[in-house]
Amino acid sequence: MTWSASIQEIIDEFQEIEEQFERLEVLMDFSDEVEELSVEEWTEVNLVRGCQSVAHIEVEIADGTVWMKAAADAKIVQGLQGILSIAVNGSTPDQVLSLTPKFAEEAGILNSLTPSRSNGFRTMFDMVQNEVRRFNQ
Amino acid sequence: MGDSMKQDFPILSRKVNGKTLVYLDNAATTQKPNCVIDAMSEFYSLSNANVHRAVHTLAGEATEGYEECRVLLKQRYNASRVVITSGTTEAINLVARSWGEFNLHAGDVVVLTEMEHHSDIVPWQMLAERKAIELRYVPVFEGKLDMDAFNVALDGAKLVCVVHTSNVLGIRNPIEEIVTSSKKVGAKVLLDAAQAVPHEMIDFKELGADFMAFSAHKMCGPTGIGALLISDAAFDEMKPFMGGGDMIETVTLQGSTYQSNEHKFEAGTPRIAEGVGWAAALEWISKIDLESHHKRLISIASKVKDQLIEKGMTVYSSLGPRDAAVISFTHPTIHPEDFARLLDAQGIAVRTGHHCAQPLMDKLGVSGTIRASFYLYNDASDAEAFISGIDRVLEAMS
Repeated sequence: MTWSASIQEIIDEFQEIEEQFERLEVLMDFSDEVEELSVEEWTEVNLVRGCQSVAHIEVEIADGTVWMKAAADAKIVQGLQGILSIAVNGSTPDQVLSLTPKFAEEAGILNSLTPSRSNGFRTMFDMVQNEVRRFNQ
Repeated sequence: MGDSMKQDFPILSRKVNGKTLVYLDNAATTQKPNCVIDAMSEFYSLSNANVHRAVHTLAGEATEGYEECRVLLKQRYNASRVVITSGTTEAINLVARSWGEFNLHAGDVVVLTEMEHHSDIVPWQMLAERKAIELRYVPVFEGKLDMDAFNVALDGAKLVCVVHTSNVLGIRNPIEEIVTSSKKVGAKVLLDAAQAVPHEMIDFKELGADFMAFSAHKMCGPTGIGALLISDAAFDEMKPFMGGGDMIETVTLQGSTYQSNEHKFEAGTPRIAEGVGWAAALEWISKIDLESHHKRLISIASKVKDQLIEKGMTVYSSLGPRDAAVISFTHPTIHPEDFARLLDAQGIAVRTGHHCAQPLMDKLGVSGTIRASFYLYNDASDAEAFISGIDRVLEAMS
């Protein structure tokens, strides 16, 4: 599959790392990429279900591009949200809807994309796409 | 001691994320020795058949293999009635459905504790909805059951349901005292012994409880099978709630009669290979000196606990001499899930979350803990690897 330049850059960066621990350390650094959703904005609607940590995601479409804000109490989940932000922010709704979460697997960030093993990533990815679909209706 | 035993457990030599597995999630499930794996494989390879009715050779071997499990359970725990279930959860639900449904009435009191696993809370809440019984919860104070409150809660109780050994804290409750006090007020006693039987021998008749529920998989047996030990008096008060094959004596279109023994609570084809596997596990564990291993594991876990406290962790387990070697802890700033992922990246398996005990988590004032639980095959090298793993996490997160 052909990925956007920003996603390909993430894949390349992670593929260079051999050790899983280091991979997680780098993943946590991506938490800086998240535009933070303040605690006051946390709602039942934007709560990510099925995550061990408390995580929220809010999606907006402004001037034809998608932007997400997010928050989580676990650093690794924040890192996953950062990667998702890079993949999504500034893209058109159609671009977001054509994305697949497989880039996280290809990068070796997640061993599995099944909802129960993806550390919330799959759920968060689906939430973003569902929100975009809702805006598109 | 643990090192030589590790050779019996093939999974313990596998690599996880490039590192040799350090398995410290034993309170969730234990690993299986070769003899259990071989027994189940051999059963499917040579003797697989349905049990109890057919007259052919395979059926006879399957029946003998499966029933051997019940025989061993009766011997090991000194119980005359052993119902084979899918595990502790089904065993407790069986008590609620087959005893509670017919012996508890509106206004009757069932005593539970804040320390219970969800599987010993939810069935009673469901029964309370159906029968309007009163549920009283004994509080936990400083990590232990408040026994003064327990004695107050006992007033008028018909049933007392208590976790023998906590899956979160590892604490062993004063079960003998609980049973004696409960009997004085005429209450039946159900023990959730899922975390107890892996660590200590229990004489069910001598203890005097009415029901004891536990699972095979927490004592090196297979998943999907467990047992309910029942006193003779309680057995006579129970009626089957699940109908089907194997539990009947006669069936006509006008009605059915049931078997008089434990089979009346075991409708349908049972977990035959699992029974064979559990029998192998029971044979295996019967050769082990649980008491000396328990002392060894508590000693290892206590040292780990001291080091965790030194490193700034809050430890909720007291690790008394009779407790299970379970360490539940939190870090002031690092999320349990991050901790577990970063340990897993080093090949170390621990548990995080609420451990199916949300009321206890509420009491402890946390949403979840990290839990490292030790079992027979764990040794000092596992403890060292765990502490090194913790150090690396702390360094990475500093």
